[in-house]
Amino acid sequence: MSVSSPAERDELNRLLQQSGSHDQKAFAELYKRTSSRLFGVCLRMLRDRGEAEEVLQETYTTVWRRAASFDASKASAITWLVTLSRNKAIDRLRQHREQLMDDPSRLDEMVDEQPTPAADAQTGQEYRRLQHCLDELEPQQQSSVREAFFTGATYNELATRCKVPLGTMKSWIRRSLMQLRTCLDS
Amino acid sequence: MNNPTDDGNHNLRYAEYVLGVLDADTRADVAREVLASDEAATAVALWQRRLIPLADSVTEVAPAPYVWARIQHALQLDAPTRAQPPGKLWNNLPLWHWLGIGASAIAVALLVVVALPRKPPTPAATMVAYMAATIQQDNGSTGWTATVDPQHAHMVVVPATPIAFEPGRAPELWLIPAGGKPISVGMIARDRATTLILDATLVARLGPTVTLAVSVEPTEGSPTGQPTGPVIAKGALSTAPNAGGKVSSA
Repeated sequence: MSVSSPAERDELNRLLQQSGSHDQKAFAELYKRTSSRLFGVCLRMLRDRGEAEEVLQETYTTVWRRAASFDASKASAITWLVTLSRNKAIDRLRQHREQLMDDPSRLDEMVDEQPTPAADAQTGQEYRRLQHCLDELEPQQQSSVREAFFTGATYNELATRCKVPLGTMKSWIRRSLMQLRTCLDS
Repeated sequence: MNNPTDDGNHNLRYAEYVLGVLDADTRADVAREVLASDEAATAVALWQRRLIPLADSVTEVAPAPYVWARIQHALQLDAPTRAQPPGKLWNNLPLWHWLGIGASAIAVALLVVVALPRKPPTPAATMVAYMAATIQQDNGSTGWTATVDPQHAHMVVVPATPIAFEPGRAPELWLIPAGGKPISVGMIARDRATTLILDATLVARLGPTVTLAVSVEPTEGSPTGQPTGPVIAKGALSTAPNAGGKVSSA
């Protein structure tokens, strides 16, 4: 499922708003259309199906309770939903960071997940614009931003994974963020 | 930490928050700021709009169907399409109390309740081993009674008397295999019956060596997947006497 078309985005906004009025049918439809996207995000960050399922469950129970606070003028429904699931996944990662750090297999999983051309074709205009701006970064910096986004790692963890000093990682990411802002807002 | 003259870096903190690179404490600081200040909320929303589209490139993965079932149960939503809707009778706490709070009484009652809306059960169906546990508090009084229907992967957990919890805390039920780590069954209500759907992994673990325990957790459940708060009640799961398939004497 792609959420790239404006019609699809409007439809998701409407479903989320209706969920805010406790419309169970709309909520079920919203889950049907968005859960695979959110589950993909959770799985990518947590790398554990059981944990990702729990975070997905927490996410949608929160969606049901908080959907009334969704404001389509501030964010699209899909941005709101992805943000919520990422926040919950990151909270969970932070809470057992030690366990994850002790697991050496995780440190070897520095994956720079470049989208496949097929996946790229399905993504929306906003993504293509962001990808264009990411492409203008130094390769190492681009890969750090992606790694940070997709794994929810802290500066410390990223520095360890990339075997660079913490200060270097911070300046890579901050410089990248400033460049991205300039590029995206232009 | 916030240097008002350094607007650029301050704004970057919102970007770092959205990207997800901050440690737990700094994250919590920014989250509080977002709640307290419209300006912070707007800055974070802008960064979300800029960065969240990256998630478009993540491979979508369909979650297992039981995740939706769990969400419906956690929210007590109607489930009109389910083959086995837990009816009003099933969730009626006074009825459960009236039927008795002993585990085996509940188990026998369950046989009656599940048999009611259906055709006369075949002998094979009545031989299904229901399981039950009296989940006792440290002071010996019953906290909850759990009845398990392995065939339909259902568990009903009924509180004996409502137990008080601090705001933001709630009971979570765990299944503990002998010598194993606790596995979360789900959040349960402190003051009414909760019906839980068991996934296949849990059903496979059911047996006489299993203990059920209740711990105090944040209302959204243990953040770690293991109990984080004190265990306030526990009890062993045992096969309920099913009266040789005859329920009329209950």
